[in-house]
Formats: sequence, structure tokens, C-alpha cells
Amino acid sequence: MAVSGTRIALVRDAFHLDVDEFLADSTGTALVGRNGAGKTTLLLALQGLIEHNGVVQRPSRCAGVFAAPAVLRGSVLWNIEIVVRSAFPASDDDARRRARAAAESVGLAALADRDARRLSSGERQRLALARALALEPQALFLDEAFANIDADGRVELRRLVRDFIERSGCTLVVATQTLADVSALCQRVVLLENGRVELDAPLSPATLDARPYLAALAAEATSP
Amino acid sequence: MAAIAALSIAVSVTATLVAALFAIPGAFWIVHGRSTGRVLLLGFFNVGLGFPPVAVGLLIAFFFWRSGPLGWFDLLYTPGTMILAQVIVIIPLVGSLAVIALRTVDATLPHQLAALGVPTATRRRLLLREAAPVLAACVVAGFGRAIAEVGAAQMTGGNIEGQTRVLTTATMLAVGKGEFGQAFAYVAVLLGIMAVIAGGTLVLQARWR
Repeated sequence: MAVSGTRIALVRDAFHLDVDEFLADSTGTALVGRNGAGKTTLLLALQGLIEHNGVVQRPSRCAGVFAAPAVLRGSVLWNIEIVVRSAFPASDDDARRRARAAAESVGLAALADRDARRLSSGERQRLALARALALEPQALFLDEAFANIDADGRVELRRLVRDFIERSGCTLVVATQTLADVSALCQRVVLLENGRVELDAPLSPATLDARPYLAALAAEATSP
Repeated sequence: MAAIAALSIAVSVTATLVAALFAIPGAFWIVHGRSTGRVLLLGFFNVGLGFPPVAVGLLIAFFFWRSGPLGWFDLLYTPGTMILAQVIVIIPLVGSLAVIALRTVDATLPHQLAALGVPTATRRRLLLREAAPVLAACVVAGFGRAIAEVGAAQMTGGNIEGQTRVLTTATMLAVGKGEFGQAFAYVAVLLGIMAVIAGGTLVLQARWR
């Protein structure tokens, strides 16, 4: 159920992405790098959402969460339900049950009937995670998925994702600017710079010391 | 009066539905398609906004004239050519407004739904559903232009009593004869129809909110 990519090359709005090899599995891979380094573009390419010249192999059931989740006109519950119904041959009752369980798991039970467009940005991110996890994906792609969620919520939701990964063996790729996301969810770090892989190594103190950007990421996490 | 109003509504509703059938998928293609031909269609919509209805009427009258290229259809001065003229007049309006309507929906929505494995057909249906309240306003604008149009209706319908006389051409005739009371009555009915349609759209949009 791993995700692998070979020679992923593309040009998009004058930005060049050129990644020779990429491999991720259930141990979790974090994509880190400065703004504009190519994290989101690589995530989109890995999910097959943008055209590129390379070859990507991924499981049949994948789910991606975007940094600014789009929601549909309708309740929180319906937003999850419609995705579940599209992915599974689920009955209405089954889809509703799955949707309710997913909403509860991300702390949106009390807002289940609220119009999703009225949610705050953090609540939208919770909804996006619920939609993705309700699909029980074999590969999960998270793009700054916790960025707007409150601090205790972030801890709780990282734990939720980690439990799901451990239980299901789902492959995880996380694009993030936060060391807490990396250390909670990933055992491998891929540093991108100007569309290229600058470093691909297991997460360790030595890796975090290996490049100035990673050292800055680590320093920010420990700074008062 | 009732027959004239009924024909006005029938011709304009039919023209609006046919125009929407072409314009909305066209707008969808412009906003979410990839082919470069989209620019041409957008250009047609934009240029078409300025088409004088009288020019459209003239072209249709020319083509469907008894000795014209399409004269053997024998359609001139029938509701059929009136509908055709209105369709051509309002497609650019409905199309260009529909482009704006579809652009109000989050541009990343198709990608986000695809990232969750939602099939293409369902994605399209959901995108249309998101834009539906604004698309409804586009269709109503098209209907408003169709039912209020007079130049093309006169030229392609001929204002034949009991056959092609609609509220606008009947108003022109009444004014020509100096029957202002009758003309005001036609216009009042025209405004009443628009008020009902606009009110209905408001109710629909409120329910969709």
C-alpha cells in the first residue's frame, strides 16, 4: 500500500518540480521546506491531481486534505456523507452512520447539523479530516491539515490520525511547516528546495541538524 | 390578452430552457475545461452580449424567408423562429453570467473532491449544485431578456393575431394605433410576469441558502 514516484517532473506557473525518487509508507513521510519549495505541488502530483512526466504508484483508495478545505452547501454531516456515498456502495443509513462517527471523532458532533459554510477555518479543517478518515483510505495526503486548529485540538487530531495509521497500515504523506506534525506522525523527512529533494532521511536529531532550514524548524519548536 | 400572455410565456420559457441547455454546459467548459477553444466560446459569449436583437431577427428572417436558404422549413412567422431568435439573443447573456456564477464556487473544489475519490460525474453534479442559486438568477435574467425582446419577435413572428402575437409586439401595435390604455395593460401583464418569476427565484434561492 506504499506510494512511490519516479522522475516526477512538471512545470506549473513557471515553477519547476523535479523529483527523481519518492517513497512513502505507513511509517509516515513529512514534506518540509520553505514557502514555494514545491510541497503542495508534489502532493498534488502524487495524488494524480496534476499532470507530470513521471510514474506514481499509489493504492486505489486515497484521500487528500487541503490546507484550505472547500466545503459544500449543506450540513457538516451531509458534507461527509456525500463523500462516503461516492466512495463506497454504502446504503444511506450506513453512510450516515459512518459520517456521524467521523464527525464525532474530530470533535464536530455538536456542529453536525450546522451549515458547513458557517464553520471557522479550524472547524473546516476538522471537517476535511473527518471526510478523509471516513473513507478509510489506504493512502492519506495531508497538506498543512492542522494549521488552523486550536492547540489542544491539534494534539488530539494528530493522535487520531496516528491511531488510524497504526490500525490500518495506511500510507501517510504530510506537508507541514511544524515539527510537531513531523514528530507526531512521521519517521521520515523529505526536505524540498526549489522543487528538488534536498534531503531524504529518517527523522533524527542528526537529520534536524543537517540543513539550516531543518535546524530552524527544530529551533522554533523549542524556542520560548 | 390571456392568449397573448400565454404565448409570450411559452415562447420565452422554451427559448430560455433551450438557451440554458447550451449556455450552462458551455460556461462549465469555459471554467473547468482545458482546451484552448474555451477562449473562443467565451469570446462569443462576450461579443454576443452586444448582438442587437433586430440583427438576429433580420438574419433569421433572411434564412427562413420563403425563397431563403432554409425557406423549405416553412417556419417564418411561427413561434418556432421566434424561439430560435430568442435563443440566439439570450445564449450569450446566460452563458457569460453562468461563467461568473461558476467562478463564485471555490476553484479548488473539483481537485478537493477528486482527492477524495469522488467520480467525475458526481463532481460535476456537485459543482452545479453549488452554483445553482446563482445559476438560477442567470436563467431568470435570460428569461427577462427573452420576454422583453421586441425587435426579433416582430421580424420572425410577424405579430400575427392568435398565432405569433406576444406582449411586446402587441404593445407596439397598440401604441401605433394610439390605444395607450391597451398598451399599458400589456406592459402591466409583462411586468407582473417578471415580478412573479423574480419572486419565485428569490424564494428558491432562500431555500437553497
